[in-house]
Amino acid sequence: MAKAKGYSDETLSVRLADRYYRPEESSDDFLENVEKISMTIPHMCYQCGTCTGSCPSAPRSSYRIRKFVRRAVLGLENDALTDPDLWLCTTCYSCTDRCPRDIAPTDVIMAMRNLAFKREIVPRNFLNTVQFIYKTGHGVPNNDVNRAARVRLGLEAEPETTAKYPDFIPGIQKILDHYGLKDKADEILAEGQ
Amino acid sequence: MVDEAKSQKPRVGVYICHCGTNIAGSIDIKELEEFSKGIPNVVRVDEYQYMCSTPGQKKIEEDIKEYNLTGVVVAACSPRLHEPTFRTASKEGGLNPFRFEMANIREQNSWVHMHDRQGATDKAKDALKMAVAKASLLEDLYPKSVPVEHTAMVVGAGVGGIQAALDLASSGIKTYLIEKSPTIGGRMSQLDKTFPTLDCSQCILTPKMVDIDRHPNIELMTYTEVEKVEGYIGNFDITLRKKARGVLTPAEAEARGIVGGGCNGCGDCEGVCPVIKPNPFEMGMAPRKAIYIYHAQVVPLIYTVDFDSCVKCNLCVDICGDKKAIDLEMQDEFVTVKVGTAVLAVGYELFPVEKKTEWGYKRYDNVINALEFERLICASGPTGGKVIRPSDGETPKRVGFVLCAGSRDNTGIGKPYCSRFCCMYSLKHAHQIHEKIPGAQPYIFYMDIRSFGKMYEEFYYRIQDEGAKFIRGRVAKIEEDPITKNLHVITEDTLLGQPVDIELDMVVLASAVQPTAETTHVRNLFGISCSGDGWLLEGHPKLNPCGTTTAGVFLAGVCQGPKDIPDTVAQAEGAAAAASIPIHVGEVELEPYFAMCIEEKCAGCGMCIDQCPYSALALVEKDGREVMQVTEAKCKGCGTCGGFCPGGAIWMQHFSTPQIVAQIDAFLLGGEQ
Repeated sequence: MAKAKGYSDETLSVRLADRYYRPEESSDDFLENVEKISMTIPHMCYQCGTCTGSCPSAPRSSYRIRKFVRRAVLGLENDALTDPDLWLCTTCYSCTDRCPRDIAPTDVIMAMRNLAFKREIVPRNFLNTVQFIYKTGHGVPNNDVNRAARVRLGLEAEPETTAKYPDFIPGIQKILDHYGLKDKADEILAEGQ
Repeated sequence: MVDEAKSQKPRVGVYICHCGTNIAGSIDIKELEEFSKGIPNVVRVDEYQYMCSTPGQKKIEEDIKEYNLTGVVVAACSPRLHEPTFRTASKEGGLNPFRFEMANIREQNSWVHMHDRQGATDKAKDALKMAVAKASLLEDLYPKSVPVEHTAMVVGAGVGGIQAALDLASSGIKTYLIEKSPTIGGRMSQLDKTFPTLDCSQCILTPKMVDIDRHPNIELMTYTEVEKVEGYIGNFDITLRKKARGVLTPAEAEARGIVGGGCNGCGDCEGVCPVIKPNPFEMGMAPRKAIYIYHAQVVPLIYTVDFDSCVKCNLCVDICGDKKAIDLEMQDEFVTVKVGTAVLAVGYELFPVEKKTEWGYKRYDNVINALEFERLICASGPTGGKVIRPSDGETPKRVGFVLCAGSRDNTGIGKPYCSRFCCMYSLKHAHQIHEKIPGAQPYIFYMDIRSFGKMYEEFYYRIQDEGAKFIRGRVAKIEEDPITKNLHVITEDTLLGQPVDIELDMVVLASAVQPTAETTHVRNLFGISCSGDGWLLEGHPKLNPCGTTTAGVFLAGVCQGPKDIPDTVAQAEGAAAAASIPIHVGEVELEPYFAMCIEEKCAGCGMCIDQCPYSALALVEKDGREVMQVTEAKCKGCGTCGGFCPGGAIWMQHFSTPQIVAQIDAFLLGGEQ
C-alpha cells in the first residue's frame, strides 16, 4: 500500500509502527525447513489444542505448543525462534500420542530448537547440559545423593551407563565433536561472559 | 353401542399418563387421580406409566366396553404427538374417535413448572376438569373423503424441481414443471464443479435436463409463472401466466398452421439483433442480445425475446424467414390446470453483499462474489475458464476467500443463519485456484469450517494439504490500494491473537443466501408459512421436513432453508414421494372440523365471506332467501367466521360454542353448570 504519511523522527516511526502480521514479512522457507527436519506435517494442523491440553508444561508456564505450530504454518520464524518458551518442552510426547491429525508436535519443537541453535539462540542452561554430556555422558550426572538412594534400594551405586563404564565417554565426545556441538556451546557461553 | 351412548348421560373415562418421570416427576399423580374421581360425569379413572404403550391403549379399549363410556380423556403430552394414537384406541373400543379429548399436562405443564410440584398439580387439575367438560359434550363426527386429481405440479426447475418432477412423472403421475426463466437448470447449471467429487456440474445435470424434455409424463412450461392458486388438496386449480416469449416452439408454430416452422435454435436471429444487454446467467459478465438463450445447453432450446429491450427492428423476423418462429406481437397467455398436489422448489438468490460495506463489493474492482467466481473459472464462462482480475485482466496469484460473508450476522443487515454450503464451495474454489494457476496461493478466512457431509471433512484435509492457508478470523475490513488495485484483507488471526493484514490480488466473498424476491409471492399464492428468516416453513422440522402446514403442498431444496446439492436432491425425492401418496391413494380424508351454517339463524348478511382466509364460504339461495354455505373441503376449521358471525349462526364442529363455554365454566366454576 502506498505510504503517504510518516514521522520525521525515524525512531518514533519504528516505535509506533503497527504490528500486523504480513505474509511478505514472514519467512518463505520456515515451514519447509521445519517439515524437512521434523519429518512431520505441521501444515495439516487445524489448531484444535489437543497438544496444549496434553502438555505438562502448559499449565505451569506460558508455553503453548499449538501456537508454535501456528507460527510454523505462517512462517513466523523470528517469533518462534526467539520465544524462550520454545525451550519449555520436556519432550514427553503426550501431544504426539494424541494429535488427531497425526502430526508430531514434539518433533516440530525439536526442529525449531535445531534451527534456533543454528542462529545461536539457545538458553545457557541447555549449553551447560551440552558440556555435562560431553564430560560425563549425562545431562544430569550421577551424584552422591543419588548414589546413596540407589544403594538403599539394593542397586549398584553407578547405573549401567557411562557412569559405570567411563571408557565409552570418548565415543560420545566423538559424536558431539562431529556436529561441533560442544565447541559451539563453549563459544556461545564464552561470548556471554 | 354408540347410539346407546348418545341418548344417555355423559360417561367419561379419565386416564393419567406418568410419561416415565416426564410428568410424574413434577405432578402428583395420586392427588390428580383422587381429584378426577370427583369431576362430574367421570365414571372411571386410571393411571399408567406410558398410556401410549399397547397396555395403556388396551385399558381405554376395554374400559369403553366395560364402563359404557361416551367420552375419553387422556391427560398426557401434546395432542400433536399422540392424539392420533388415542383416537385409534377409542375407535378400537367402539367409540367414535372424535369423542376423545386430550389434556396436555406435559409440554404445557410439567416441563415448564418442573420446580413447582403443587402449582403444577393444581394446574393439571384445571386442565383435566376442562377436558372432561368438553368430552361430556363431544359428538360423533365423520371425516369426509375427497377424490384426488391424478396430476401434480412442481414449481421451479432447478436441480430440486427437476428431481421432484422426474420422480413424480416416473411413478406414473402427469406432472407440470413450471419455471420462470427461459431455461431449466437453476443455480446448479451456473456452477463449474461440484464438491467434494469435483464433478463438472453441467455434465451431471444436463442428462437430467434432457430427461425432463423427453419424459412422456412431464409437461415442461418454461418462462411461466404461477398467477393464481385455488382449491385444496386433491383439487387445486392453478392459473399460470405464460409470459410472452416472442418465439414459437415447433409445436406452437404447427398449431398456427406453420408446418415445419418454429424455433430450431439455429441462432441466426441472435446474430442480427442490434441490442446488447448483460447476460444474467453469466452474472452480467458477458453480453446477450435482445433475442437470446442463456447458454449453449439450454433446455428447451428455444430463443426468447426480451421485450423490455427489443426495439422491434424486425431484423430477426426477416432472417428467421420461412420458419416464422418469431412473433414480436405476442402477448402473455393464461392457462388453468388442475392438480392434486404441488411441490415448491423455488430456490434462492445471493444476499446483496454490498450491503456489508466493509468488504467493498461493487466498490473495489477485484472483490467478487462466489457465483461470479464460478462463472469466471468455468470453461464455458465469459473468460473461457481463465480466472482474471476485473481491474486489469491479469491472472491473480494471491486469492482470498472470505467465508460467512453476510451469514451468521445478527445486525439485521446480514443473515442470522449459516448458509451451509459456502465452506465447502470455498474449499473447492481454493483447489481450483491451485489447479489452474501455477504458484497461486489461496487464503481462506473463516470462523469455523463446517464440513459436515459425506467425504467433506476428507475434502477439507485435501485442500489444506494442497497448501491453502487458513486464517481463523472474520474479515473486519478490506482496503483497496488505489494504484495497484490490490486488496488488503484485515482481520485477526484468532489462533495467534494477532491482527493480520494480507495483501491479495483478488477476493471472493462467499455471500450468504436468501429467499428469492418471488418467494413471498409464491408462498402467499399457495397459502403456506415462512419461518422468521424468510425460508418456507416445513410441516415439522424433524418429522415432516418436506411437507407444509397446507395439505397437498410440499417443499424441496433451498427454498425451505440453505442446503447443498445432495441434500436438495434427497429432499426433492422425499417431497415427490410425499406428494405422490395422496395421488396414488386416489382420495384424501379431511378432518371434520369444518364450519356449518345454522340456516334458520343465518341472516344472509355475507359478512363472514370476506373474513374467510380460505375462500371456503359463499352465499347461496335457499327457500327464497340467501344463506351462507361452506365448501367443507376448503374449510380448515380456523373459526374466524364462527367467532365473527353476529347472529351466532355458524357452528364450528368439534369446537362448538357449548363445548367451549363448558370448558370456561369448568375452569371458573369448578365444573358446575
